Amino acid sequence: MSGYVEGGTSERLVPRTTDARNAREAAALAARRRGPTVSLWGMAMVVASEGTLFGAFVGSYYYLRFKSPHWPPLGTPEPKVVVPLILVAVLATTSVPMQLAALAARAGRLWATRSFLLVALVVQSGYFAYEVHDYVDQLHRSTPQDNAYSSIYYLLLGADHAHVFFGLLLNVWLLGKLATGLTMYRLNAVQAVALYWHAVNVLTWIVIGTLLSAAA
Amino acid sequence: MATTVPPPAPAEEVVARLERMWEARPGVLGWVMTTDHKRIGLLFFWTTLALFGAGGVEALLIRTQLIRPDNHLVSPGTFDELFTVHGMTMIFFFIIPASTGVFGNYLLPLMIGARDMAFPRLNALSYWVFLGSAIFLYTSLFMGLAPNAGWFDYVPLANRRFDPGPPIDFYCLAVIFNSLSSTLTASNFIVTIFKMRAPGMSFNRMPLFCFAFLATSFGLLFALPPLSADTIFLFLDRNVGTHFFDVAHGGSTLLWQHLFWIFGHPEVYILIVPAFGIATSIIPAFTQRRLVAFPLVAIAELLVVFIGFGVWAHHMFAVGMPVITVVFFAAATAMVVIPSTVQVFAWCMTFVTGSPQFRTPLLFIAGFIFMFVAGGLTGMMFVAVPFDQQVTDTYFVVAHFHYIIFGAAVFPIFAGFYFWFPKVTGKLYFELPGQISFWVVFVGTNLLFFPMHVVGLEGMTRRVYTYSGGSGWGPENLAESIGGYLTGAGIVLLLGNLLVSWFRGPPAGPDPWRAPTLEWTIPSPPPEYNFAVIPKVSSAYAAWDLADREEDRRKLAEHALVLDQGHEQPVSSPIDGWFSEIVEMPHDSPWPIVLATALSLVFTTLVIHKYAVAGIMGVLVLLALLFWHQEEPQNA
Amino acid sequence: MRPSIRLLAGFQWFGLLAGAAVWTAQHVVGYGIGQAQCVAGGMHWGIGNDVWQLTLLSCAGLVVVLAEVAAVVVYLATRGADYGSGPPGSGRFGGRTPYGRLNFFAMGAMLANALFLAIMLLDGLAASFDVLCRQS
Repeated sequence: MSGYVEGGTSERLVPRTTDARNAREAAALAARRRGPTVSLWGMAMVVASEGTLFGAFVGSYYYLRFKSPHWPPLGTPEPKVVVPLILVAVLATTSVPMQLAALAARAGRLWATRSFLLVALVVQSGYFAYEVHDYVDQLHRSTPQDNAYSSIYYLLLGADHAHVFFGLLLNVWLLGKLATGLTMYRLNAVQAVALYWHAVNVLTWIVIGTLLSAAA
Repeated sequence: MATTVPPPAPAEEVVARLERMWEARPGVLGWVMTTDHKRIGLLFFWTTLALFGAGGVEALLIRTQLIRPDNHLVSPGTFDELFTVHGMTMIFFFIIPASTGVFGNYLLPLMIGARDMAFPRLNALSYWVFLGSAIFLYTSLFMGLAPNAGWFDYVPLANRRFDPGPPIDFYCLAVIFNSLSSTLTASNFIVTIFKMRAPGMSFNRMPLFCFAFLATSFGLLFALPPLSADTIFLFLDRNVGTHFFDVAHGGSTLLWQHLFWIFGHPEVYILIVPAFGIATSIIPAFTQRRLVAFPLVAIAELLVVFIGFGVWAHHMFAVGMPVITVVFFAAATAMVVIPSTVQVFAWCMTFVTGSPQFRTPLLFIAGFIFMFVAGGLTGMMFVAVPFDQQVTDTYFVVAHFHYIIFGAAVFPIFAGFYFWFPKVTGKLYFELPGQISFWVVFVGTNLLFFPMHVVGLEGMTRRVYTYSGGSGWGPENLAESIGGYLTGAGIVLLLGNLLVSWFRGPPAGPDPWRAPTLEWTIPSPPPEYNFAVIPKVSSAYAAWDLADREEDRRKLAEHALVLDQGHEQPVSSPIDGWFSEIVEMPHDSPWPIVLATALSLVFTTLVIHKYAVAGIMGVLVLLALLFWHQEEPQNA
Repeated sequence: MRPSIRLLAGFQWFGLLAGAAVWTAQHVVGYGIGQAQCVAGGMHWGIGNDVWQLTLLSCAGLVVVLAEVAAVVVYLATRGADYGSGPPGSGRFGGRTPYGRLNFFAMGAMLANALFLAIMLLDGLAASFDVLCRQS
């Protein structure tokens, strides 16, 4: 029974995962690991913290909303519904290539990983470019200084875009790293960034849903 | 690429190899670039001690101003800065960094049989960010621009109209800056506790100290973002012209309070739960008995923080919320005391059924229990909303929270200083001055805080700059101020004892207390690599499992589970501790201090409203992050 | 007949987490309903506050009671497993199965669910009576 007490597996059978220097080794060692990695847990902490921040923003939105008889206040334009919903759906679909990239990395398929990341990056960048253009465009019609509605609107939306932008930076960094091969570190990184994007996609749904509820 | 079993080697050779591999860089550079959790714990120790001194000086100035009626020692404006900065310092810059940054950092890896935290460089970053945020706040004090609207900084007083200028901007940014440090620490602790325990240490075999720090870390992780949201709203309202808190344009002043207390109530549990962890480490050692009701105490530590997230509006019972709202929070507040009570009973029963030796650490723990119960009783009184509405913002509240914070957070910190002093320094402290320091501090704090209940009930409101002779509050205030000086003297004696003992104390050996947790099985002070052999763990009282310790010695002789092929650590599964992989850990790195410096520049440029420059500094932060991640841990 | 280890583990997680989750929901939703009843912009759907609160309390209360039952089942099935100290021996509670951990979490869950039920009964019932938009 000493096997259990020492954690079930003897030292000689446990992988030294940071030894992996190329895609094949990384995939072989990753397959022998149990459960989510330390880096995935770390990204989960980031997701929890940022998620709670957005929770505070969304909670504040509803708090301010339920205080006000008119929402948006008279004179402030209602949010457009159709285009933002389409865009959010498009962004959410990038979770698929991101997850496929993570699975490909885990299997040691470097070119597949790079391709999926590139596809995701292209769609995400397109989304971001359009959203920046739209944000600036909306600022011509109303500003955060108008009233509490527009203050929380622009902050919530801006915070979401900022997180998308940071995700773009992460994807670019990943592609840069993967240009010279796949190590265990990079494999872990792809999985962690995929988690980041799943979280951002869910958060964007929640944020857009919240903001568009004013049009109801 | 098979994992080979290393050839057998004599124990001394193994230890020498480990020492070489984990050796710290010499000199100042070694400290600046360190990622060793023990060194980072010591860095936190010196810094938090200095800030404790600063907070104490602020407290004594407050007490001296209030020593007699109609006193004019300092101006009213300075008085406002003093009580605000005192509160911020003690909460954000002393208790949290001391309990998490000092005790958590130093002891957590040792208690779980690990060689370092899950993210060593992140740990270092936590410290340098903390230091940066402390310097940031205290710069405002030295410039005469310190925050001055109280530590909870209510709007509309804190908004641009009533408090223009830098002070509240410093408040907002210092709080956000500091919260980065605690968020990083909390994340690190959670991942470390779940993944880096020695293989075989399943969740139910984890010391109670670890449960306490797990609860605290979850608390920090989820409580700090609402505070950041709040301060972001305030900074924008003040400087960009938004209307989050501006009622005339659809905003809400109560929004500040809700968000603040959604942070603020879990915060007070964050302050005391690490102390519970310290108490549950000390009591078994000095009663030589396993803690009574171990599983109930473990869940109680988690429950008190969890339920504590649902009681925040009890800080707002006097602002005029509808009764239906009040009901939810009063109910949860009434029940949140129960997990704490379970713990108090468990501690007391352990005393009664064990053989207590009242050495200095246990004296401080006994004092802690006394003061925690006293403060808890007054806390329960606030559940009665009509009573709460009478005593809100009076000295009765000040008495309550100082009994809790000083009694339940600071006393265990002092106890912990004494208890782990032999482990950290390798020396024993002098017992008699230790005991005297306890009694001086105990009498001092009771003299300081007890009369506050009386003047509070008599109507003395908090944060008042002075009071008239006719109020009749003079004698109590005089007693409180004397208590304050006495407490200060006791603390000086305490720290002086530790300082002298460090130079002149007798050698301690690895385990002077015959304590039950793993840090007492290694030399004092611990080597850089902590454990030569990854320890075998069969219970939560690993140091008392002599058969396991014997097996560790045998493994060292066989060169088994030594993990000396590099800078290595085992990683296990989160709940049952199955051995999962061996990873290479990062060693010294300059990037934590570089990144913290870049962040300091961001906050500095923000507070002087140079937003474009702040954006450029933000790019520097991203660059530092990039360079940090250029280095990938590989085998040596 | 003792339940299988997988079933016991499932009950243990349900017992530990379900009570916490539904208390959180009842607390947040109940508070939100109260706010909606009493503030200017709040939405009413023709359903009275009492109906909302009592329904919420019943549903959440049921789940907490089930969680408590699950925790008790696990505790009784693993009684005798030493939850903390000593090596996992031979016999009924030995070997690779984490009976100690199940027993440990079951004990914790029993305390937690009792507490959540108490809080919910207090505020759920109190929130269902009388005019509650009166300023406190």
